[in-house]
Amino acid sequence: MSSMGTPAVVMDNGTGLTKLGFAGNDSPSFVFPTAIATSSASSKGGRNARNAGNVASKRGLEDLDFFIGDEALEAANGPNYGLSYPIKHGQIEDWDHMERFWESSIFKYLRCEPEDHYFLLTEPPLNPPENRESTAEIMFESFNCAGLYIAVQAVLALAASWTSPKVQDRSLSGTVIDSGDGVTHVIPVAEGYVIGTAIKNIPLAGRDITLFIQQLLRDRGEVDTSLQTAEKIKQQFCYVCPDVVQEFNKFDQYPQEKFAQYIVEYTERKATVDVGYERFLAPEIFFNPEICSSDYLTPLPTVVDQVIQSSPIDVRKKLYKNIVLSGGSTMFKDFGKRLQRDLKGIVNERVHRSEQLSGVQSSGVDVQVISHKKQRYAVWFGGSLLAQTAEFKSYCYTKSEYDEYGPGIVRNFSLFSVP
Amino acid sequence: MLQIEQNNLLIQKTLSERVFDSADGFKSLDRIITDFDFTTYHISTLPDHKQLVLVSIYLKCWDDLNKYGVVEYLNGKYAEYAGPLAVLQGSDLEAGYNYSLVLDLAELAGKDDEFKQKVIDELSFLKRHAMAAPFEKAFARYDELAKTYANANTYSEEIQAELQNEKVLVIKYRGSDESIYIKPSFDRVTVIFSTVFQDETDKIFGRVFLQEFVDARKRSVQTAPQVLYSHKDAPLDIQNVVEGSKDDENKGYITFVLFPRHLVKGDRRDNCISHIQFFRNYFHYHIKCSKAYMHSRMRFRVKEFLKILNRAKPENVDDDGKAIENRKTASGRRFDIASR
Repeated sequence: MSSMGTPAVVMDNGTGLTKLGFAGNDSPSFVFPTAIATSSASSKGGRNARNAGNVASKRGLEDLDFFIGDEALEAANGPNYGLSYPIKHGQIEDWDHMERFWESSIFKYLRCEPEDHYFLLTEPPLNPPENRESTAEIMFESFNCAGLYIAVQAVLALAASWTSPKVQDRSLSGTVIDSGDGVTHVIPVAEGYVIGTAIKNIPLAGRDITLFIQQLLRDRGEVDTSLQTAEKIKQQFCYVCPDVVQEFNKFDQYPQEKFAQYIVEYTERKATVDVGYERFLAPEIFFNPEICSSDYLTPLPTVVDQVIQSSPIDVRKKLYKNIVLSGGSTMFKDFGKRLQRDLKGIVNERVHRSEQLSGVQSSGVDVQVISHKKQRYAVWFGGSLLAQTAEFKSYCYTKSEYDEYGPGIVRNFSLFSVP
Repeated sequence: MLQIEQNNLLIQKTLSERVFDSADGFKSLDRIITDFDFTTYHISTLPDHKQLVLVSIYLKCWDDLNKYGVVEYLNGKYAEYAGPLAVLQGSDLEAGYNYSLVLDLAELAGKDDEFKQKVIDELSFLKRHAMAAPFEKAFARYDELAKTYANANTYSEEIQAELQNEKVLVIKYRGSDESIYIKPSFDRVTVIFSTVFQDETDKIFGRVFLQEFVDARKRSVQTAPQVLYSHKDAPLDIQNVVEGSKDDENKGYITFVLFPRHLVKGDRRDNCISHIQFFRNYFHYHIKCSKAYMHSRMRFRVKEFLKILNRAKPENVDDDGKAIENRKTASGRRFDIASR
């Protein structure tokens, strides 16, 4: 094959951010918003053409007049472009825009001829097979890509955790906690298959933390309470504490060490924003949601426990043993430790109770939360890891197989066997 | 996005990050970057000297380029930045790659921002420069020929025969089936691309697209080079140098005739080289764009047809053929599908 030597392309299109890159690299080459700015003049022209109903009246190049990613956000500030996000809740909604988004990502950003490369795309859990088919249609028919593999994000996040020294056996069983900007998912995966019925979502994620910090800043009357400032404070100062009450005491005892200051730089002047209890309170909303939200009250460790309890009984031990974090909002210091401790508490209590009731000694349940360095772009990294293996190409469907069987072929992909 | 940029955005980005925001010390870097036509770059820091960034390039057609003096050409291009940028020779080349450069960030830090930017930009043009070498050579040969025959009767048989035998430069940039042939003459340079279509649909799109190229020249852009397209049969100019399958249904030849007007030395010549070497990518990119456009039309049509079909759906009728009013829930909502 002509495409033997070229590295596979790994594309992870998320609701908020798109991660693009080549297999074998340790971080995505491009990370930008999954946004596309199309010329508003052209959409108007399109509407006219629709009315007229004939193709011949449209001979311009309007369909090439668009931007993606950061350039799209910039262009949308001007009057001539309208911004849209083709992916909603992890699933592709607008295929026209998505096709053009891919077109630009492949040719402009990654600069590769899709005929020469294999592609690894990602999909959210519970993606309908029709969406997979549409994706395959675009990849094979528009772009003639050499080969395609569509992987579930949670499975890739599990694969990414293999870099952690805590992982001994490279299995594709485990619970994935994926927390991005909009929603937090808890997804159990057994032997590479997602247990769809047990998935739970938590409507608290990165954006809520930022808003919470912003709220605290406003309550205190800081000089700068913009969203960007809150975002920066979240990234630079926040951490998870073992116990809220003790942490409050620590803050009162050692104010010098604990309180921090964030300096906002404007073009002409500087402002100083004090950073206080939000350092540990903000990530705390995962563990005590009542401090921020009035309608969602279940803490994350309880949700994880519920998810595993609703999974088949024979995989539960593996799910407890391999809890993997993925996404930017799990990056807080000691997030994993706290989760592990709280979850252990819940599990041990139940084990203890059942021992009392049955009078039989239990062998105990091992709870382990794995955090690793590649957490932020775990899905992409997992993709990169798998796509660089020699076997990857044998798991892909090639263009000729697609031509032979049609789009239905992508309904099933063989799973990566564990090396 | 009518054009694809000539330079490699990713190299530019990676190096800019290195050069301009090196606040967090020199971390190690190891990246593979690709470009069109099986080009691979490898950007990495040397293991014991993290301020040295090694940039290597692999090109499929390096052997051909080598014949046409690519190394000298590239050395000349990058000599301007000697000091921070060093070209590796012979055994120092990174294994598996064809051409390596070392960028010394420590030394570069002392220069002004404009210089830094220029170095980065030039490095992102690495592939363009490499591919430009044979074009430069052919154009130089054209200059020579033009001088020799300036006052000769170019219609005489001997001269015509001599020109016929002018050597053709061949660059097998994607293996033997897809090549660039360059033939200099005294009053023009002929550039011929052979290209293979993997897909039946692509072939048709390609033909329509190229027809448009030919027509556009007739209609409005008279200064554009002449474009000819031939299917399956190689043009006479290059018939004796064509390699690979000669009888391939999917093979097409696109001929560009560059006239002296395009070959004026300086910016115009550079521009001409940049554009013409990029032709295949441009061509295939636009075939794909047109397909994407067609698909969006198709989706639109399907949606319209579905609307018509939905309108034709019979209403809810009871046994007597009377329409049943949609039942409502206690809160006044309906079980209505259409209003979803």
